[in-house]
Amino acid sequence: MSDKKKSLTVFRSDRHEDVAAIIASALIVVVVLTYMAFIVPSVGIKAPQDGKLVEIFVAEGAEVKKGDPLYSLEVVKKKWVNNVMEEKVAVESFTAKANGKVLKVSGKPGDAVKKGKQAIVVMEHEKGTLP
Amino acid sequence: MEDKGLFGKILAIVPGLAVMIGTLYVLRVYVEPWMKDAVVFGRKGWLVQVLSLNYILLSILTGMFYRNILFGGKIPAWAEEGFRTTRLFIKTGVIMLGSLYTFDKLLKVGGIAITLIVAFVFGTAIFILWLGKRLDADRSVTATMAAACGVCGVSAAVATAPGVRAKPVDLALSIATILGFGIMTMFVSPFVGKMLALSDYQFGAWVGTGILNSGQVLATCLAFNPNFAPGTAVAYGEIWNVVRVICIPFVVFFITAWYWKGEADAEHVSLGSILASKFPIFVLGFVGMTALSSLHILGAEGSETLHLMRDVMAWVFGVGLVGLGAYIDVREIRAAGGKPLRIGLIAGATKYVLALIIILAFIPKEGAF
Amino acid sequence: MTPPVTPPMKLLLALDDGPGARRAVDEAIRIAREKGATLDALFVIDATWDVFTGHDWLSGCNSRIGFLEYMQGLEEKAAAESARAFLELRGDMPGELLTAPGDVVDVIREQAAKGYDLLVLSNPFTRGLEVMRDAVARLTRDAPCDVLLVRADTK
Repeated sequence: MSDKKKSLTVFRSDRHEDVAAIIASALIVVVVLTYMAFIVPSVGIKAPQDGKLVEIFVAEGAEVKKGDPLYSLEVVKKKWVNNVMEEKVAVESFTAKANGKVLKVSGKPGDAVKKGKQAIVVMEHEKGTLP
Repeated sequence: MEDKGLFGKILAIVPGLAVMIGTLYVLRVYVEPWMKDAVVFGRKGWLVQVLSLNYILLSILTGMFYRNILFGGKIPAWAEEGFRTTRLFIKTGVIMLGSLYTFDKLLKVGGIAITLIVAFVFGTAIFILWLGKRLDADRSVTATMAAACGVCGVSAAVATAPGVRAKPVDLALSIATILGFGIMTMFVSPFVGKMLALSDYQFGAWVGTGILNSGQVLATCLAFNPNFAPGTAVAYGEIWNVVRVICIPFVVFFITAWYWKGEADAEHVSLGSILASKFPIFVLGFVGMTALSSLHILGAEGSETLHLMRDVMAWVFGVGLVGLGAYIDVREIRAAGGKPLRIGLIAGATKYVLALIIILAFIPKEGAF
Repeated sequence: MTPPVTPPMKLLLALDDGPGARRAVDEAIRIAREKGATLDALFVIDATWDVFTGHDWLSGCNSRIGFLEYMQGLEEKAAAESARAFLELRGDMPGELLTAPGDVVDVIREQAAKGYDLLVLSNPFTRGLEVMRDAVARLTRDAPCDVLLVRADTK
């Protein structure tokens, strides 16, 4: 019965719990990285923030290298400058993070895109790289 | 207790864990999108924009609802084991937060964080030691409250208590005070932050300095801005948090030494043994994660890999926060009173407001990264 | 008019370590003497401190364990003191002295359901973390037997 008093955690002690948390996060990292590098067949590249598609630089079937621009987006950039929120509209281009092949281009210039919602470009990447 | 074996233990966790994950799933997938469009008081998205309700606050509130209303004040036996995994989730989330930084970023902000925290931690502790004398409080009460208000709330109180021979009743009252104050600040701070148009950097710095419980710092930052990315409130707040957590052993040492000073049968306190027994190991995991991110192993900024990683992180935290809510027992907090309450309120409020003033005066809105 | 022979009345005294503890013991002993009852006393060692500190999930490493061990030590000391005081006052009255760990109210309810006629406790009942909760309300809500609340000493 005296064990009961220490059983806030499911582990033997809080030290064990700390170690378990470290192992758990390491596991998550390994799983996510392996999944992205080797398992996932294709990746839909989504807009990192809300904006309007300006241009798409790649065509379906094209081979791209890491660092090649994929598309550009007109976004509202918010930045604190001298304690004032400065908002300006800018066109930013986004690049490929891994070598691969473009499978499909689903967006077209002029489309309004929402952050993390629809894929603009679907890419197949080289195994072992992180898209 | 009979030994149920590993399999039995895992099985016992399932129901409670399922409740936590299910709750979070419903909140994120159904409730949050609905709130964004819901028209309240003739304004679309009023719940989100004015009350700053997001899935973080909702998770905590739902957890509180389970414990206090649905379960009638006690987590039932079938769910107990599952809810005990709460801290595992939050700690894992905290470790994964390390991936938001690289070492050069940490160094840029670390200096300011350390200066502010050390000043506030020892400032508060010394202020309470004085206040305790003024209010004629018991030395052990004063010492516990000094640790609690100085660094990390309950963690620090718990770490100090045995060293200063705190009495159970006083301790219960101190912990209740700290929790009550912390929960209040958790819901008030995002409002204040939005009202004063604080930037993420300022908000993280303020909350990290001013809020008592480290856990609540994270929850508050996420309530202010639920995004996990470099430069968001939680990314700044967590730096403050880590510095604070590392501070605990030193504060415990300082206060225990104060408590025994001038006593004939003084206990031998050594910094080394306190460090060995109280150093938070999970901080090492956090640093390890920062190392991985500094070596660019986790994928480039803006890559889908990192997006997925941060998404997982948000889920891990969310599950933990439902559990956190379920550990908040309103009755216990309502019972707060006596000298700990007075000390806690005076010191806590002073620290909270003073931190805000200092941040507004000295911390620029533009973040360091 | 004499009632049929019944087994002797059974009293349960819930011990606590608050300001009303002494009066509750006195009352229980007085009633037990009057009725020729057996008097069992129960001291519950509060085992819910871990959940109380559970609010803070970062209370890392050994600090929480050290704390729980410290609390356990204090609880055991309180149990021993309470038991000593009770035994001294009781003298040679029949009855058992029980000590059990757990959630204070739950353990008392469980015990009280084992065929006792009357449960005696002080009001307010301050055992362990029950100072923070409303033990009396929880105990008296569909209590398994009659309950006598003994008020604390008024000065």
